[in-house]
Amino acid sequence: MPFNSLKYLLFLPVVYLVFYFVGERARWGVLLAASLLFYAALNVPYLLVVLILVAITTYGFGIWMNQAGTPKRKRILLWGGIGANLLILVVMKYLPFLSENLKALSEMLSMDARTQPVKAFVAIGISYYVFQAISYLVDIHLEIEKPERHFGYFALYLAFFPKLLQGPIERASDLIPQLKTRYKFNYDNIRFGMLLFTWGLFKKVVIADRLGLYVDAVYNDVHAFSGLPLLLATYAYAFQIYMDFSGYTDMALGSARIFNINLTQNFDSPYVATSVIDFWRRWHITFSRWILDYIFKPLQMQWRNWEKGGTAAALIVTFLVSGIWHGASWGFVIWGGLHGLYMACSIYYKPSQKKLHKTLGIEKNKFLKVWQVFITFNLVSFAWVFFRATNLDDAVYLVTNILNSTKGFSSGFILSQGRYELVALIAATLVYILTSNSMKTRTAIDMYNRFFVIRHLAYCSLVIFILLFGVYTIDSKFLYFKF
Amino acid sequence: MISERLKRIILEALQLEDFDMQDDTTANMVPGWDSLSHIKVIVAIEESYGIRFKTLEVIRLKNVGQLQRLIDAKK
Repeated sequence: MPFNSLKYLLFLPVVYLVFYFVGERARWGVLLAASLLFYAALNVPYLLVVLILVAITTYGFGIWMNQAGTPKRKRILLWGGIGANLLILVVMKYLPFLSENLKALSEMLSMDARTQPVKAFVAIGISYYVFQAISYLVDIHLEIEKPERHFGYFALYLAFFPKLLQGPIERASDLIPQLKTRYKFNYDNIRFGMLLFTWGLFKKVVIADRLGLYVDAVYNDVHAFSGLPLLLATYAYAFQIYMDFSGYTDMALGSARIFNINLTQNFDSPYVATSVIDFWRRWHITFSRWILDYIFKPLQMQWRNWEKGGTAAALIVTFLVSGIWHGASWGFVIWGGLHGLYMACSIYYKPSQKKLHKTLGIEKNKFLKVWQVFITFNLVSFAWVFFRATNLDDAVYLVTNILNSTKGFSSGFILSQGRYELVALIAATLVYILTSNSMKTRTAIDMYNRFFVIRHLAYCSLVIFILLFGVYTIDSKFLYFKF
Repeated sequence: MISERLKRIILEALQLEDFDMQDDTTANMVPGWDSLSHIKVIVAIEESYGIRFKTLEVIRLKNVGQLQRLIDAKK
């Protein structure tokens, strides 16, 4: 069930009440049952089967690995466990893509491909908990984690409903101990959790979905536009996806907080990044840490004797995988590849660039920072085109027509048809992002914590905004559901 | 105890003037020691001591003290 649904707004407090009144020993059971119910509410029965299969398989391999006598046997079991998980993921997510491309390939080779088109499975959540399962197995192999013997807690580690559908991707050492901690009523956590949840809801329903109206109008019909609207729709999408995903993350963290569980923050003002490498330390943090620890570092180590080339290659491979993880389409692969390329290039030019800045004495210059933020944002937005476009043709059209105004200079497009809200929205979002980490926000939070009136004014305004300006006329799915 | 030799290798690889390396020093305590420069440190150590690390050994390292012990074991 999606977070921005009436069902969830009833589900959450009911689960909390049952959780609270049942004894300490049954609490994990309540959370697990609630999580399974939550997953079942999507009305796709085989998803539950997949979740349970992943849980049982990974639990089993974890214990076998630990019991294994020799390092060689341990390694075999590790790859067995990883393989099983990847097989499940590939079958659920990539079968149609693989079969289509195999068909295209065999047609090119004039072979008779008489295969049935494979129907796409719904795969919500699978990418996330499979990655958690893999990290669990690798951490056991690295001996930084012991296998969890209690199947209930292990299953809950994978299935915990606040993070089941779109992450954050949690490490076993972060989440399992928290799940096992005795619950003590904490009013501050409930209060903070609910506020964070409401704030996330606001970001999703008021900002992201509103931006989405504009983005969809352009991206679903790119050939009708040329020049400025293409550019603005891309920038708008950059903010839409950020508000959508970080809004979801806030709702996830807020929901978990009510149960005294602290999930990992996924975002840290990504658009104030001064380089693409910096961007990935701020965007979808749990995912980028996962690919850093489990793909990049081992590859970089393997290829260390190629020096910069080794690191560059490791980056490209890692981010191609990142692209593929997001979805079974060439657009995602190109998006990932672009990011990999951006960062691979920076490995080569960064040292000289640093020297240049030092020589010119501008390293700490504020304008340099603004320039770097501007360039990074544009590089990232350029990559978003391939991520969002309906297909490659659209993406290529967009990219080649972004500076083209032959269809009439359409700056009036934004202000006409009542789209002035878009401009205000972008401005407001920019302000939000730029002030996210400044001292001003800290004082604001202090005032918020101290003054009852300010707090309640904030609650009420949030709710009013959500009710008045929220977009409810569309089928508002969270964007990162698809991954 | 971190040997002077190891300390010098690390400082040179990270292009640092000085840093107080202790057994429990971790990479994120040292300025500029991130996942990109980490590999420079590892390669510099391998070249200087004429040893070869296994990927698993390096990934398991938690602090400089463990790195020192790993080097001592391989010499």
